Amino acid sequence: MSKNQEENVSNTSLEQDATKLDLSFKEHSIAEFFKKNKQMLGFYGKVRTLTMIVHEYVTNSLDACEETGTLPNIDVKIDELGNEYYEITVTDNGPGISKENVGKAFGKLLAGTKFHRLIQSRGQQGIGCSGCTMLSQMTTGKASKIITGRKEKKPISLEITIDPKTNEPKITNLKELEKNFVGTAVQAKFKGILYRDSEQGPLEYLKRTAIANPHAQLSFRDPQGQKTIFKRTHDKVPDLPKEIKPHPKGVTVDEIITMVKTTKARTVQSFIMNDFDRTGTKSIQEMKKIINFDLNKDPKKIVWDEAEEIVKAFKAIDFIAPSVDALRPIGEEQINKSLNSIIKPEFLTVLTRKPAVYAGGFPFQIEIAIAYGGESGKVTSDGKKMEIMRFANRVPLPFDAGNCALTHAVQSIDWKRYNIKDAENSPVTVFINFISVHIPYTGAGKQSVADEEEVLEEVRLALMNTGRRAGIYISHKKKEEENQLKRKMFYKYIPEIARALNSITKVNEEEIKSKMEKLVLEKLKLDEAKDAEEMKKLEEIMENDSKSSVNNENKKKGKKK
Amino acid sequence: MKENKTGMRKSKKAKKDREIATPKEIASRIKNTSEIIVKEIKSNKDPSFTTMQRGKGNVVWDEQKRYLGLGEKTIVRNFLNVAHARKFMQTSMIMAKTNEYLLQNKTASIREIYYELKHTIEGTKENTFEGQGESDPVIVDLEHSVNTIREKLNLHANPKGTLYGNILLKDKMHFNDKFNASKLGRGGWSIMSRIEPEEIELLETDAEYLLVVETEAMFERLIEEGFPKKNKCLLIGVGGQAARGARRLIHRVHNEMEMPVYVFTDGDPYGWYIYSVIKQGSMALAAHSEFMSVPDAKYIGMTLDDVETYKLKNVTENMKEGDIKRAKEMIEYPWFQNKEWKRQLEKALKEKIRIEQQALANRKLDFVATTYLPEKIGKKDFLP
Repeated sequence: MSKNQEENVSNTSLEQDATKLDLSFKEHSIAEFFKKNKQMLGFYGKVRTLTMIVHEYVTNSLDACEETGTLPNIDVKIDELGNEYYEITVTDNGPGISKENVGKAFGKLLAGTKFHRLIQSRGQQGIGCSGCTMLSQMTTGKASKIITGRKEKKPISLEITIDPKTNEPKITNLKELEKNFVGTAVQAKFKGILYRDSEQGPLEYLKRTAIANPHAQLSFRDPQGQKTIFKRTHDKVPDLPKEIKPHPKGVTVDEIITMVKTTKARTVQSFIMNDFDRTGTKSIQEMKKIINFDLNKDPKKIVWDEAEEIVKAFKAIDFIAPSVDALRPIGEEQINKSLNSIIKPEFLTVLTRKPAVYAGGFPFQIEIAIAYGGESGKVTSDGKKMEIMRFANRVPLPFDAGNCALTHAVQSIDWKRYNIKDAENSPVTVFINFISVHIPYTGAGKQSVADEEEVLEEVRLALMNTGRRAGIYISHKKKEEENQLKRKMFYKYIPEIARALNSITKVNEEEIKSKMEKLVLEKLKLDEAKDAEEMKKLEEIMENDSKSSVNNENKKKGKKK
Repeated sequence: MKENKTGMRKSKKAKKDREIATPKEIASRIKNTSEIIVKEIKSNKDPSFTTMQRGKGNVVWDEQKRYLGLGEKTIVRNFLNVAHARKFMQTSMIMAKTNEYLLQNKTASIREIYYELKHTIEGTKENTFEGQGESDPVIVDLEHSVNTIREKLNLHANPKGTLYGNILLKDKMHFNDKFNASKLGRGGWSIMSRIEPEEIELLETDAEYLLVVETEAMFERLIEEGFPKKNKCLLIGVGGQAARGARRLIHRVHNEMEMPVYVFTDGDPYGWYIYSVIKQGSMALAAHSEFMSVPDAKYIGMTLDDVETYKLKNVTENMKEGDIKRAKEMIEYPWFQNKEWKRQLEKALKEKIRIEQQALANRKLDFVATTYLPEKIGKKDFLP
């Protein structure tokens, strides 16, 4: 390889990096970039892509409803138009979008309202509804149809595409409709995707969305015309999460590049002081010692290397931990209601842990539920298996389970300790909601949480606590079942024995029978008493267990201080 | 031993209590066991059934009686035990059924009692017995529990073995027929599985000893040569390992007619083991040795010394894998701890050859009848 060639290679890869990370630098080519890199944005795999499309539309609808305090009613329909060819229709009862904004929402990539805010939001994954518009026109050449209506305004219908050169929406067939409609409906066609009724399919995705959003009502019609409705179990729209400025410890280079595009600050110094949480003059003084460029520079002119320097400096300096006010858990009561309504378990235990902090700066919170029996567990050809439902800020994470800290935490639990024998093959659903303003995703697909030590530990503690409660129930139940079986077994042999003994001794058959039945009942009563005693011991052991793990936790915290 | 004018000896009554237990008495033992169970039930106790532990762990070599016996270890089977309940039911059913047989003077094969008791348990899909493999062990349990043998429970297995010779028998279950075992043709009398004194009586004989042979072919050869008549003996062909009926008959002839028993098998570990079982009982039926073993029995042959004495080297065969294994086991048995048998087994393990009874035909067809047996018996050339 000649020197020249070598340079070429490194140049190209540098260019690629820049394109990947600095979308806003070349705004005119965003759409083209999307075209080339749709995998990176989560649109890969036929089944996965379909679910991701549903996810984008539904997430958009939920966020829209919540922002105006509306209880969401969302309807999803999928029609099969041909081989790997589908039409997806999503209708909500949200506030609707004005003529002026509809292009931004559905026809301009990276124009979402939440993109530059640090807020506990759903919309951190994927690339939004515009991405779907793009994907639809790329695979079918067709425009997406939108109907949207606002309060006291006439609803409009239109068709929309994106100009891939300019990243500008192209709206056609714009009409006012003579009917009453408040909300937004989108209908788009896609090729090269596949509907599956599987754990990664849209039905399961919607079911999980309903579980994590008890205030939403979701209905679904699959390509066969089968309709499913997940009813609302809670009548209050959750409080809007507080917007907080990003904490310097958690910011990445590409996020800074994105932030400077919209900042009102005129210097980098004021950008750092005003646009971040817990920064001040003291921080700037310290940063000046580390940073090599002039902090009076216009932030809009920051280049990649400079942004990287800022991140490095943030890492080197101490900041006060961020506030936890922005976290919005679903709540134990609400999870309880929705799981009972959708999974109908025999036993359910729910726990919302107190907020904690990971990686020295990010507040987060864990919610766990363990459901047993009923429709809990995964149905396989080999019987029921344990099912893990992972969520990040109420959004289901159906993919990449193997790389996820939440999965790893579940796998690290010795379920036998909690009397859940053969947990893998039990009808158990483990619900885990990870709440944070910043989810430490691994990979561009944003479907798995990184193995942060504090996150793993929090999930483990929550699992131990709920696992203990579930274990007590399950072993009680198993013992009860065993006793029933025992009674049945002894009882069935009694008539034969009584008949035989009667034929030899001539003692009355009925008398032998009733005496023997009494014997069985007394024996089982004794067994039950023994079981109860054992259970008590077990509960004590587990109580001590969880105490000692809490102690360990405290020790760890102490060390850090 | 009483001899009358014609030289016929009459049978001596069996002396031991257990052997002459009548069906009535066995039935009363079953009733006794059942009444104890009912008493337990009535007084709110977990009813139990006690039997002897069987198998290697509870088999002992009785030095004095010179046979294998059962040790003292018992098994208690409780109804209120998940692992025992079903067997408890099966035991009670077998008890009731055998009790019925005994009172009605009926006998049945172990297969018949299985079929008679097999049915679906009311309100379930479960059968009382899923196969004869389930009922057979329960029968053995009962034998041990009421201290008897299955023949006395009016049960029997498949018959095997043949008797020939001048002995008068009476079948009390069949019109009190009297018959002479030398007058039933060349085939002799098929030994029934159940030949208890209540059924078959041994009346009189002029025979001086009982010769037991391993193979049916040798049995036929000796009859064709007129051996039993010429040598005043009874002949029993066991056809391999002796069945219960044949063993019981050998035991009874030996004791009731006070007659020595000589055993003639192939010269290999398998044949010697057949002798061993006839003489001192088997592991599996250790509890029944008292009824079946003949500790005074003597072994005629074939021995590996016969190979040299009768020049049979060219008709020996190589010992098989299983023969070698068995020889190695036998050399450790306490009842083979005498110098003659140790020498014999060591010789077998060294030379690794075997010799069949019928190999004697190599000398001449009638050699066994005219020379081999008369010489050996005349010289009392036996192994202990």
